[in-house]
Amino acid sequence: MKPRNTTRALRSIHSLTAPTRHRPRPLPYVRPTVSISANPAPRLSSTISSTPDASKSSVDPTEVSHFNALASSWWDPTGPSRLLHLMNPLRHDFISRCRETTPGSPASSSQLRYLDIGCGGGIFAESAARLPHTQSVTAIDPTPEVLKIAQGHKRRDPALMASSKLTYLNTSIEDLPPPSSPEQAFDVVSLFEVLEHVNAPGPFLDHVIQHVKPGGWLILSTIARTWASWVVTNVVAEDVLGMVPKGTHEWSKYVNEQELREWFRKKEGWGSNGGIKTMGVVYVPGLGWKEVPGGEGWGNYFFGVRRDR
Amino acid sequence: MPPRVPLAARRALSSTIVIRFPVRSRRWFASSSDAPEIYDVVCVGGGPAGLSLLAGLKASPVTNGLKVALIEGQDLQKNRLQKDASLESFSNRCSSLTPASVRNLQEIGAWTHANASRIQPYQEMQVWDGVSDARISFDWDTARSPLTPRKPTQPTTIAYMIENVNTVTALLSRLEELGGVDVFSSTKVNSIELGADTEKLDFSSWPILSLSNGKTLAARLLVGADGANSPVRTFAGIPSRGFDYDRHGVVATLTLEGPGWGGLDHKIAYQRLLPTGPIAMLPLPGNKASLVWSTTPERAAKLKSLPPNDFAAMVNAGFRLSPTDLEYLHTLATGQEEEIAWRAKHTPFNKRSIPVRVTDVQPGTVASFPLRMRHADTYTGERVALVGDAAHTIHPLAGQGLNQGQGDAAALVRTISRAVQTGQDIGSTLALESYNSERYAENNAMLGVCDKLHRLYSVESGPVVGLRSVGLRAVNAMGPLKGFFMSRAAGGV
Repeated sequence: MKPRNTTRALRSIHSLTAPTRHRPRPLPYVRPTVSISANPAPRLSSTISSTPDASKSSVDPTEVSHFNALASSWWDPTGPSRLLHLMNPLRHDFISRCRETTPGSPASSSQLRYLDIGCGGGIFAESAARLPHTQSVTAIDPTPEVLKIAQGHKRRDPALMASSKLTYLNTSIEDLPPPSSPEQAFDVVSLFEVLEHVNAPGPFLDHVIQHVKPGGWLILSTIARTWASWVVTNVVAEDVLGMVPKGTHEWSKYVNEQELREWFRKKEGWGSNGGIKTMGVVYVPGLGWKEVPGGEGWGNYFFGVRRDR
Repeated sequence: MPPRVPLAARRALSSTIVIRFPVRSRRWFASSSDAPEIYDVVCVGGGPAGLSLLAGLKASPVTNGLKVALIEGQDLQKNRLQKDASLESFSNRCSSLTPASVRNLQEIGAWTHANASRIQPYQEMQVWDGVSDARISFDWDTARSPLTPRKPTQPTTIAYMIENVNTVTALLSRLEELGGVDVFSSTKVNSIELGADTEKLDFSSWPILSLSNGKTLAARLLVGADGANSPVRTFAGIPSRGFDYDRHGVVATLTLEGPGWGGLDHKIAYQRLLPTGPIAMLPLPGNKASLVWSTTPERAAKLKSLPPNDFAAMVNAGFRLSPTDLEYLHTLATGQEEEIAWRAKHTPFNKRSIPVRVTDVQPGTVASFPLRMRHADTYTGERVALVGDAAHTIHPLAGQGLNQGQGDAAALVRTISRAVQTGQDIGSTLALESYNSERYAENNAMLGVCDKLHRLYSVESGPVVGLRSVGLRAVNAMGPLKGFFMSRAAGGV
């Protein structure tokens, strides 16, 4: 997909009112090989944010079929989800790093409740459920076939089956009932490699953040919208290396770290007292995922924001 | 020159351990009423590598919650070193532990359990060419450049000679202290098969072990620490390739006429590179030493058949007389001692550059084993990891075999620890990838170096002898380069 930047970016801003659907399909990209140039038009404008739309959003049928086709290979360590599997340990590193900064709640002292949005085959959800300080993991995905894969894979681990910590729900975030009170919300809400597939990130995030408990964290990972990321995700990863299935990425949907930062800055009750953290990462063939200071400006990055108490 | 024909791994089938080989039935306990007991780690083999792995897992707060089992065919208690064992008697199975291996044993809390009076550190190593007499000496003082002399606080020990039974006993004591390991001693593995996909649970990727005591265990991660003929490796379908050197290692515990040229506080290891293979004498406490003599199977058989006085004389000859003399001495039916005494008088050598004389050999310690090189294609599979000899068998020339196993165990502990911390399934191939990538290259390099050295010193005449002698003398003259080699041998100090 070519970056017809202005037109497409405008279209995505205008499409905020159109039915939105996030695509729970991850797919990070490989090391950028080009220099970074202009940063195209903003996509997540803080002025466009709105309250959660009560009307139900619909799932794009073409995107669902794309992920259905990938479902069976989700847990193949050499298959199309390999980069995601390799990235998974870094997600935990980043969550620990965020939680260590939370005043009055040492990272490992309490039992955590997780909500994993767009869980796919359960790569992150399973791993979170195995951690000793996890009370529960609620993992949701709107695509029935990938959820079936997740459920089937869970049966391979008697520890997960015995503990009943891990629950899969076939639902979208819009259909998930909001918590009855803020204290009933989750300690960690995760949104990994989802945001870049969402048509209207503002309203979508408004749905998401109501599930975060005061003092809890929203943790996401996505890709910055730069020329580097366009070349690498759409050309190198999909066409040249073939590491990522074709047609997975729509570059114009990518969200930049500054845009997220700005969006949360204008949100009341979010990210104060150092409650925003980022971590840039790149995939280096032969070495795996590596943290790169400043990488959030041009490639894959993690973003964590804390809800104020 | 040994044949270079790679032998298929199917040699493993000659294992004496009774195993029904890899019928990877997915229906195993579908018909069985007893559900298997589920473990996070099942280690088959209670040798130094397997025990080190388990002690490492139990010593770390990250991994000590894992449910682990050890299965060992022999009686672990029976083979322990007695606390009051006499210092007049040493096992013929000794290893030269590198400082890196010792550091790991310290970190997992096992080293303090070792019987220290039976461990001999050594500070110097003399290696020379049996044909040309070109020599290299290793000690930390000469291995540094003159500008950066060794500080008094820096270590002087090259390695530690220790009986394998001492290492194993120390690890067992540490495991008992830590607790939490289900030990199945004197227990054989009858079969290893994949589990079944039942309505409730899917065990189709889990190895299920049937033991001779009637128990069945399901392993999230099955560790093969079960030696060169590893049944676990065979179950996993991992080929192991290599060849036999057509050499045997003759081992014995020797009594010397004194503690050595450096006295009790500065012990020296000696290795003479003969065309038939190296002869090495490694210091043990007091007047004792350990012999490893790699030679042809015929000569090994001859040496084993000799009475103690002639055997001792042959070892002295091995460090003193020419390869031609040695060849002749092996053809004599009897009387080596007198023959050697006469020949030694007519052979000039610098007494202080060779080990002190052997006066006796400890009864019952002369033994031999075939030398092999084997390397598994990979160390990991789905829910399987190999450590120690199950993964690789090395030429004993550099004494690295047991150290490699300790390195494997430490690396696998690190890999499992990282997997636990990030919630990965510790048996998944993805979680195990870092173990394989870290250890395979390292061990392959060491196997290659030792193999090349063996080949280089098998040559008796011609330009190769001249070149290797120049090389040895040159390295000897260059302190920092020698320091580099010593660091490598010491496990990266």
